[in-house]
Amino acid sequence: MNKDMKKTYYLLTIFTVFMFSFSYMLVPLYDIFCEVTGLNGKTNQTKVSVINEQPTERFVKIKFTSTVANSAPFIFEPINKEMNVQVGKIYTTFYTLTNNSNKIKHATASPSVVPSQDAEFFKKIECFCFSQQEVGAFETKELPLQFIIDNELRNETKTLVLSYTMFNTTEQVGLNSENKVYE
Amino acid sequence: MKVFTIIAATLSPSLASADWETNMPIGVTPTSEIAYDIHMLIFYITVVIGILVFGAMLYSIIYHRKSIGAKPAQFHESTKVEIIWTVIPFIILVGMAIPATKALILMEDTRDSEITLKVTGYQWMWQYEYLEDDVSFFSKIDDESNKARQLNSGIDVNQVKNYLRNVDNIVVLPTNTKIRILLTANDVIHAWWVPELGGKKDAIPGYINELWVDIKKPGIYRGQCAELCGKDHGFMPIVVQAVSKTEYHKWVSIQQNNKVAKNK
Amino acid sequence: MSTDIEKLDDHHHKPSGIMRWITTTNHKDIGTLYLWFSLIMFFIGGAMALVIRAELFQPGLQLVVPGFFNQMTTLHALVMIFGAIMPAFVGLANWQIPLMIGAPDMALPRLNNWSFWILPFAFTMMLSTLFFEGGGPAAGWTLYPPLSLQGGDSMPFVILSIHLFGLSSILGAINIIATILNMRAPGMNLMKMPIFIWTWLITAFLLIAAMPVLAGAITMLLTDRFFGTSFFTASGGGDPIMFQHIFWFFGHPEVYILILPAFGVISTIIPAFSRKKLFGYDSMVYATASIALLSFIVWAHHMFTVGMPLAGEIFFMLTTMLIAVPTGVKVFNWVATMWKGSMTFETPMLFAIAFIVLFTIGGFSGLMLAMVPADFQYHDTYFVVAHFHYVLVPGSLFGIIAGVYYWLPKWTGKMYDETLGKIHFWLTTIFVNLTFFPMHFVGLAGMPRRIPDYAIQFADFNAIASIGAFGFGLSQLLFLYILLKTLKQDVTAEDKVWEGAEGLEWTLSSPPPYHSFEKPPRVE
Repeated sequence: MNKDMKKTYYLLTIFTVFMFSFSYMLVPLYDIFCEVTGLNGKTNQTKVSVINEQPTERFVKIKFTSTVANSAPFIFEPINKEMNVQVGKIYTTFYTLTNNSNKIKHATASPSVVPSQDAEFFKKIECFCFSQQEVGAFETKELPLQFIIDNELRNETKTLVLSYTMFNTTEQVGLNSENKVYE
Repeated sequence: MKVFTIIAATLSPSLASADWETNMPIGVTPTSEIAYDIHMLIFYITVVIGILVFGAMLYSIIYHRKSIGAKPAQFHESTKVEIIWTVIPFIILVGMAIPATKALILMEDTRDSEITLKVTGYQWMWQYEYLEDDVSFFSKIDDESNKARQLNSGIDVNQVKNYLRNVDNIVVLPTNTKIRILLTANDVIHAWWVPELGGKKDAIPGYINELWVDIKKPGIYRGQCAELCGKDHGFMPIVVQAVSKTEYHKWVSIQQNNKVAKNK
Repeated sequence: MSTDIEKLDDHHHKPSGIMRWITTTNHKDIGTLYLWFSLIMFFIGGAMALVIRAELFQPGLQLVVPGFFNQMTTLHALVMIFGAIMPAFVGLANWQIPLMIGAPDMALPRLNNWSFWILPFAFTMMLSTLFFEGGGPAAGWTLYPPLSLQGGDSMPFVILSIHLFGLSSILGAINIIATILNMRAPGMNLMKMPIFIWTWLITAFLLIAAMPVLAGAITMLLTDRFFGTSFFTASGGGDPIMFQHIFWFFGHPEVYILILPAFGVISTIIPAFSRKKLFGYDSMVYATASIALLSFIVWAHHMFTVGMPLAGEIFFMLTTMLIAVPTGVKVFNWVATMWKGSMTFETPMLFAIAFIVLFTIGGFSGLMLAMVPADFQYHDTYFVVAHFHYVLVPGSLFGIIAGVYYWLPKWTGKMYDETLGKIHFWLTTIFVNLTFFPMHFVGLAGMPRRIPDYAIQFADFNAIASIGAFGFGLSQLLFLYILLKTLKQDVTAEDKVWEGAEGLEWTLSSPPPYHSFEKPPRVE
């Protein structure tokens, strides 16, 4: 096999391996891209630490909504369905989570904000979505959310919707085991 | 005659639920009208290009054939011509992109909505929650359609009214009101689509999407799930009834009273 | 095909019979294997399509339950894409590349053999899942989570099969690139290569870039399902939409992989039967390369309804529209090749001309789909199904069939029956339009994809499409008959089968010697 051939194989094999690892690189790249641009309605996944409260004259409406995923045995509702908040001021609100089953359950909440371009300005200081919740049989818990709307919020925005989806993450292989696809 | 009808039907907007329907509905919202306008604009442009290109081919097939004695020419390149037929299509595309971009900006503007309808897709039905009015219910395919659609049901589906497009609980919405529709799902990805209301968005578990409609004409509008979601993906219809604001508020009160009555 | 070639061979220890085909390292044999394999898979995928069209012939469910219908739509696509179209083009590549560049064989003949033999194993495994208790895969060939994670024992087997298809393609692509770059006859520099070689060279690069990304995506699905990762589940901080991004980053170059070799075939046939050189050879090369490069920045046009931000929607709309420019250049160049030529209309030319017209129609619906405001009404409807079947069937498939008719006399040394070929052409073309054109209408009228049953207003056009589908399927049996009849022929073909044909393969006998160009020819 001559030198040129060897070089061709070497380069092509490296290219192949690179493209395979590229697909895995897309995973963190996707997250970074979404975080930097606030796309996909993603809010901060971890606590925002230093907050300077600089309340402005501006008010926006925040609607709170909730969904329980995969028909898990939970009742999950916001205590406040709607709040009129001052931009730049810290607020606290709560969601209630009831475990409607007779076994201890673990639950994880996933937040999502629309309009998605405004998601990056909804800053969560303390959120029950930062960690997994444990709820005993037939127990109800009050889950706190402390947040602030960043002053940089786009001028045209008057309403934001914050939605949480609560997942039953009791078993790690957490997906709905009912075979819904086939019959 | 049928061919002519088909051509005429293609060039004109569709009538709701007509057989032999060949075109997109103009629909009853600003977004559905925008979609229709962009669709027809691009369609007409491609028809013109098609006529020119296929016309040239047809001419060539007839007159540049060996059997009538044509001798092959020798030319096989021309930078000038390549530039022309790169630049002109590019300009045409720019001409399409401008109205399309303007239209898109309008369609994605959910500001200043008056009411919010949250739609949650389930395997295999929809849940509707009117956030301001605290009304909530499930909506699934109606019994008659559901019975008829079973394999070898023995029922003639042609006799079933609005077969596969009827539900047990209809979504009632007010006309001339900007309505923000929030979309999410319980289990897998679904998509909420009513053609005459324009706009289609995926309903994704764990995430929320939004869509807006402003229904200009009262009436009943039918659609169905538009993202494969399992075995009964084809059996999750959507029925929206658009009524005047006053009628809508009456309906909301009835729903709220029913809820109170149920909870007693 | 077999006996003539064997007579000309003077290897001492060459096996015959089954062992010949299992152990062959000869590019002609391997090309033949790929082509027969793809024909068999085409009929299997076609049978699945007929199950679909039979169920959709009338409203109501008459034949299958919805879960099985979803298995049919899923496997129909996987079989046609990975089992029929791609292997057929690899078969054409194997036969033609060494002959057209004056090389004795492919760069890595033994790897070539393995690349082929992976496929029958992989497809047997994938198709066997139909007999599993939960049935075969039913989440669509696009395998979107969370649906694809919902269950069925078939899932890991299908994922392994797809890994094997990918491996076969990647190894084949490496072989092709190494052959083209390093084994051309002296004097054949890059801009003198036959255009078919160019399109395959570019396709091979696309394969190496895209298939590993698919491998990554499906491995992530596998670990999400079985090993507790959460790439695509929101509860674990993942995102189902990320799958769609990764999948379509592969998926869009994939569709260009499915069409570029067809472009190469058409660019070979039109000049031959117009007796005129291809117009704008250099442009055609640059246009193909541009299409390949652009194919990496349009992927999200498959995802316009996921809730992408406005900036993303605009970006992908514009890049998608841009691909129309080099594609248009290619169409214009083909027409300019025909223009003022001296045309005859043998079967390969008929298929090539039909390709240009019908693929362009598919291109038009593609342009319409690119316009996001309208796409909100087209997405996930039969309008999309119509679009991609127009570019895949009278696009890719016609390219393959045209290539087979064109080169079959060279490969076998026997001429096919021209009258039957023309009949096959006309039946196929009429039925392909009868099947897929009405799908534009029902899509626009509101019929979504992947449904086994539909509302009454969609019935009439669905009935027409189903009739067309059965007609189309039966017409392909005629193609099989033509192939078998050709092999039985006594009449031998000339070296230069077609008056206007150009290229090194036409300097060899028909059929060519089992080992050709053992000494490289000189190219001016």
